[in-house]
Amino acid sequence: MAENMRRSVSNLMRGIDRYNPENLGTLERYVELQSKENAYDLEANLAVLKLYQFNPMYFQLNVSAQILLKALTNLPHTDFVLCKCLIDDVHQGEDQIMKVLYLHDLLETCQFRKFWVSVPQSEVLMGIVGFEESIRKYICHVVGITYQHIDKSVLSELLGDASDDEIKMWMNKYGWTPKDGEKIFIANQEENVKPKNITEKIDFESVAGILATSAQ
Amino acid sequence: MYNQPEEFVEAAAGTEYDPYSYSGYAQQEGDFEMHTGDPRQDLAYERQYEQTVPSYIIPEVIKNFIHFFHKCINEGNLFEVNNLYESSFNKLTERFFKNSPWPEAEHVAPVVDRDPLFVILYKELYYRHIYAKVTGGPTQEQRFESYYNYCNLFNYILNADGPVPLELPNQWLWDIIDEFIYQFQSFSQYRSKLIKKSEDEINVLRQSPKIWNVHSVLNVLHSLVDKSNINQQLEVYASEGDPDSVAGEFGRHPLYKMLGYFSLIGLLRLHSLLGDYYQGIKVLENIELNKKSVYSRVPACQITTYYYVGFAYMMMRRYQDAIRSFANILLYIQRTKQMFQTKSYQYDMIMKMNDQMYTLLTICLTLHPMRIDESVHSQLREKCGDKMLRMQKGDRQVFEDCFSFACPKFISPVAPNYDAPRNNLQKQPFTLQLKVFMEEVNQQIMIPTIRSFLKLYTTMPISKLATFLELNDDDFRNHLLCFKHKMKNLVWTKGTSGLEGEFQSASEVDFYIDQDMIHIADTKVARRYGDFFIRQIHKFEELRHNLKKGTSSS
Repeated sequence: MAENMRRSVSNLMRGIDRYNPENLGTLERYVELQSKENAYDLEANLAVLKLYQFNPMYFQLNVSAQILLKALTNLPHTDFVLCKCLIDDVHQGEDQIMKVLYLHDLLETCQFRKFWVSVPQSEVLMGIVGFEESIRKYICHVVGITYQHIDKSVLSELLGDASDDEIKMWMNKYGWTPKDGEKIFIANQEENVKPKNITEKIDFESVAGILATSAQ
Repeated sequence: MYNQPEEFVEAAAGTEYDPYSYSGYAQQEGDFEMHTGDPRQDLAYERQYEQTVPSYIIPEVIKNFIHFFHKCINEGNLFEVNNLYESSFNKLTERFFKNSPWPEAEHVAPVVDRDPLFVILYKELYYRHIYAKVTGGPTQEQRFESYYNYCNLFNYILNADGPVPLELPNQWLWDIIDEFIYQFQSFSQYRSKLIKKSEDEINVLRQSPKIWNVHSVLNVLHSLVDKSNINQQLEVYASEGDPDSVAGEFGRHPLYKMLGYFSLIGLLRLHSLLGDYYQGIKVLENIELNKKSVYSRVPACQITTYYYVGFAYMMMRRYQDAIRSFANILLYIQRTKQMFQTKSYQYDMIMKMNDQMYTLLTICLTLHPMRIDESVHSQLREKCGDKMLRMQKGDRQVFEDCFSFACPKFISPVAPNYDAPRNNLQKQPFTLQLKVFMEEVNQQIMIPTIRSFLKLYTTMPISKLATFLELNDDDFRNHLLCFKHKMKNLVWTKGTSGLEGEFQSASEVDFYIDQDMIHIADTKVARRYGDFFIRQIHKFEELRHNLKKGTSSS
């Protein structure tokens, strides 16, 4: 259903029509659908925020908060920042939005343990399907680019006290392997992270000119 | 044909909903006088007319200039028009109208047989000069009049059945789009400054919600893009086909093609001013930013493009892309600077942007240190070396100052509430963007410090380094994770869309964690001599050349 809507919505956003406030209803329903079906469409969501920016009287707090939460599910991409730039200061001061901003800050600064404590389940999350799973994906991304080996207990903590089964699930997903009992092998980082030596290279082109003039 | 007020709104055609149309407000009646439909304004207009008519005589030299200018435009003598536009007009301005307006269009009209098109073009220059040079800037009325004039110009171009018989130099076409957006931006700021406005001024503003309305401005730009098929042309151009094959009747005409292209850059700028960086980059998706093209021959347009693209990337935390954009264009300015010096009105603008981009580049390189072109880097050290050091030490104030100096003039797309207590609100959009930027900076504020420590070691236990930084192990580990996360940016690699990219990290200092041990990889750069010598040899060669010229001519 969200897939079908993606197509029809993208037609709404061509050219000047994307600023037509009459489309707002459809776009807001689409946000709702994204939450329910675990789908995501940044461009459509930004179009909603832009319409609010152009028509402040149509602003809806719930929809905006929902858009921000959906943007969190697309970390490590910076969608959240893009959304934030379109929501004015007054609305960013609203309690509901502030809570989401706080969650974003925790995730961006990788304070995952605090995040799991702060995420007070249902009310702020507005029943967004697959929210926590998406956040865990992001956390796994950060672990994946940082660690060569990680203690199982540390990984479990980062993922919000994940059970052994859950950890196994994530390990399978990313091809991480157990090692010596309590350790997990993530990736061979030595390949990607090694000291670089940059020596000077002068290309022929830059010298050719000099040689040509001095030969005159 | 063009003085019939006709709607050009294409995109809204077919739907009944049409809040964007402004043509009803830009009616023109026979004799260049525009009536606004608002009695108050019309009255004011007439009063001014009476005051100035009887006494004013246009100097002969100006009369001749205008006469010749008119003739060259009519004959389509592009070379001469360019010369008059870029050089003569500015020289005469310098001589006769340094801080005062050019003669009003009403006085100029008789000189050019009341040619309505020329009068519109003349007014475009007339108002632009008032915005730029006249002491006190434009009055509210002049802001309105200039808006109507742009409406007339765009109606003329867009409402025609076939391409209009007009050719203008690319530089002028760029300036038209650039100025149109500048005046919109200026108006948006103007209407938000309510404190010093008179009751009358506010009443007029209240009653004219469509003047410089954001929808109208977007509509003009989108209409020019659509009319010229510029996106289709660029697509074909990118795949090395012939753009003319998809350009259509209008798009083949240089006037439409270039206005279409410049409108894309205009949209980039407009979206950026509104804080919509995604859409800003998105409108350029058919332009190959990293390649020279036939469309990129107007330097001011090139520079504007890269400034806004770089800024948008910076806000999206795509530092590598931002750094590449800024470094490329700054190198270009460095190499072509002499070319601009002759055109003073552009020179000032370009030098301002040049300084702003060095500042933005400094911010980006503080947050994401990486190697850039040596000559740009040495300029940067000279201009902003001190700021960089202070930002690296975590001085938030310097981040704020740099951002404030170098960012675009953000605007609100909607009018303020004229009935609320009077206040100056023009800073609000800026404050919002600054806030978002500073939140990002705050999230990263520890990273430069951590980096400076990491640089000293090749391996280090987490707990030991945590002690050095006076943090507990867990907090420090979070900082390390944050370091890795923030240094991994989306980077453009291929294709025309600037939004696409893949995650890369090119940070000079990198590391990974193996259980409790940090393994650090630094980048060692050997000193570069060749570049220095090559530049010195070139300088010497130039000097020798100049000396030779000097002796042979004396």
